[in-house]
Amino acid sequence: MMDLAVRDIRHDLGRFVLTAVGLGMLLSVVLAMTGIYNGMVVDATVVPDSLGADLWVVQRDSQGPFAESSRVPQRLAERLRAIPGVARTRSYVAFNVQQTTPEGVTRRFMAAGLSWPDDHGDMLPLAQGRALRAPHYELVADASLNLPLGSQFKIGRDAYSVVGVTRGMVSSSGDPMLFVSIADALKIQNDLANEAMRIETEARIGRVKRSSFGRDPASLERAAQSQLPALAPPPVSAVLLDLEPGQDVESVRERLSHWPDITVYTTDEQRALLVRGVIDRARRQIGLFRSLLVIISAIVMGLIVYTMTLDKMHSLALLKLLGARRIVILRLIIEEALLLGLLSFVVALLIGEFMFDLFPRRVLVGDADRLALALVVAGISVAAGVVGLRKALSADPNQVLAS
Amino acid sequence: MTPTQTNIVLSAESLSKVYGEGPLRVEALKPKSFTARAGEVVAILGPSGSGKSTLLTILGLINPPTTGSLRIGPTQVIENGRAVANLDQQRRQQIGFVFQRSNLIPFLNAEENVRLALELDDVPPAQSRTRARTILESLGLGKRLHALPSRLSGGEAQRVAIARALIHKPAIVLADEPTASLDSHRGRQVMELFREAAHAQGAAVLVVTHDHRTLDLVDRILEMEDGVLTEKAYAAPGETSHA
Ligand SMILES: Nc1ncnc2c1ncn2[C@@H]1O[C@H](COP(=O)(O)OP(=O)(O)OP(=O)(O)O)[C@@H](O)[C@H]1O
Ligand SMILES: [Mg+2]
Repeated sequence: MMDLAVRDIRHDLGRFVLTAVGLGMLLSVVLAMTGIYNGMVVDATVVPDSLGADLWVVQRDSQGPFAESSRVPQRLAERLRAIPGVARTRSYVAFNVQQTTPEGVTRRFMAAGLSWPDDHGDMLPLAQGRALRAPHYELVADASLNLPLGSQFKIGRDAYSVVGVTRGMVSSSGDPMLFVSIADALKIQNDLANEAMRIETEARIGRVKRSSFGRDPASLERAAQSQLPALAPPPVSAVLLDLEPGQDVESVRERLSHWPDITVYTTDEQRALLVRGVIDRARRQIGLFRSLLVIISAIVMGLIVYTMTLDKMHSLALLKLLGARRIVILRLIIEEALLLGLLSFVVALLIGEFMFDLFPRRVLVGDADRLALALVVAGISVAAGVVGLRKALSADPNQVLAS
Repeated sequence: MTPTQTNIVLSAESLSKVYGEGPLRVEALKPKSFTARAGEVVAILGPSGSGKSTLLTILGLINPPTTGSLRIGPTQVIENGRAVANLDQQRRQQIGFVFQRSNLIPFLNAEENVRLALELDDVPPAQSRTRARTILESLGLGKRLHALPSRLSGGEAQRVAIARALIHKPAIVLADEPTASLDSHRGRQVMELFREAAHAQGAAVLVVTHDHRTLDLVDRILEMEDGVLTEKAYAAPGETSHA
């Protein structure tokens, strides 16, 4: 039996291809949603993953340092190093920075302090340059920050030279990461805090001047001198523990469970906190949006197949008149629906292949995601085919005589 | 059996059709028995609305009759108004159809439209292709095998439709005003084709027509008037004894 579906498609190939491209674009958004979701999970955990510590020690009852803010004293690292089984401790500090350049471009990134001299950032996935070699005024930045290797970059009061460039190192909110030594990081944090305080002080003096106290020199003096209480030495966000080879994680953790003021997480627990906590809403949002798109695709496809069937009613009536079995009509409609689904799917994959890299955040599509989309498209195609088939089977041979 | 009986390829017994009920009731075909023999071309004449198409759709197994029995070729198809055979199969194997226009599937070319009649009944493509080419060439369409219906002239399209109606060697060919959209020359050609095919294949051809200019080419005329079917006259009775 000749393939009627292929012949019908070939007869109006342009329209079929155009329809498939449109549908493919819709499906590519479904795929993008999956990729964005996957990218989000990877982005959220890329920093803890590449820092690769066995245990994370944070402020008591905090989920920090990524999911929540956490402050622990700098000296905690020294005390932790004394624990049997701990090979190395690293202090870690990270904070968000937002800068506006003189040209008016706003830059957001997360600055992180590496525990110099133990940690030079050798574990960072470098695309260019090298890790830190000096304790001060060097930085490694992610490529998405667009800082050329060898250039100078001013943060706080000082300029830092860009010695290394990473790829894909972003914070859980997708901002580029920037690594300096921990001493530099604390200084930057302090500089930025002082800057904020200076602005706050000016504002306070301004308020006093505008008020009736402005005529009293003493109150002006007090306004200028009053400051937030200084915190010294500055705390860090967390302390990372690297255990000795073969050392049981749980026993170290058990030992630390009696320490006041701290909470201990494994790297896996940190990841879980990030995925279930920080990006949970975004994840559910994307999941919902994706379900909606699948439903829309199904409706659109159903309508398209239905219209394609309507356009063929005369041929279908003629086929019935000639004594075509139901299976012939079924094959014609279902095969067309499946071919439309297949072509749309291929279009979606191609769009994904060439477009997803242009997205500002990571879009990660794996084979399992492609397979899942293929199954969804197959399901939608069959459902749409059934819609068309119901119409097709209602074709009446009498219409051929009437026409 | 007498030779006449063996020749009978269509036999209708008190066939009737009533549409609707109560005040909407239309007796489109009053009970009537008749037969058609192999090699015959039978014209069905009658004014509009007299029930000609109704008769054809019943003989073509598209609509069921209200009463009556029907035998096509060797098969008893309808018994007392009820189907007693697989009607789709009967249409595939025993009946050829030709209509005024829109006979062809627009996305299939001439050859494929003809092959379709065979392939719907599971004839393998290699065989159907050869047979379709042979019949189309014999109808002077050897150069139009790959033309889509939209590219065919009215006469060409009608000849393709005739090829499709004949290719599976049906017992009966039913044609509803097949010459209506053709000029008188082409119309005559079509009637001549039916005549040749009827004789060559031993099929009965029943043609609904308004075209009185071609009646000299038919063997019998049945006239329809308000659902009443009557035998009008035998035209050139000698023609029927071709065996
Ligand atoms: N499906 C139907 N339901 C109800 N009445 C019908 C139906 N089909 C035909 N009729 C009626 O049956 C009668 C015969 O119709 P039919 O189409 O057989 O006439 P016809 O001889 O083919 O006419 P024409 O020459 O115009 O084609 C008409 O009165 C028509 O209105
Ligand atoms: Mg009619």
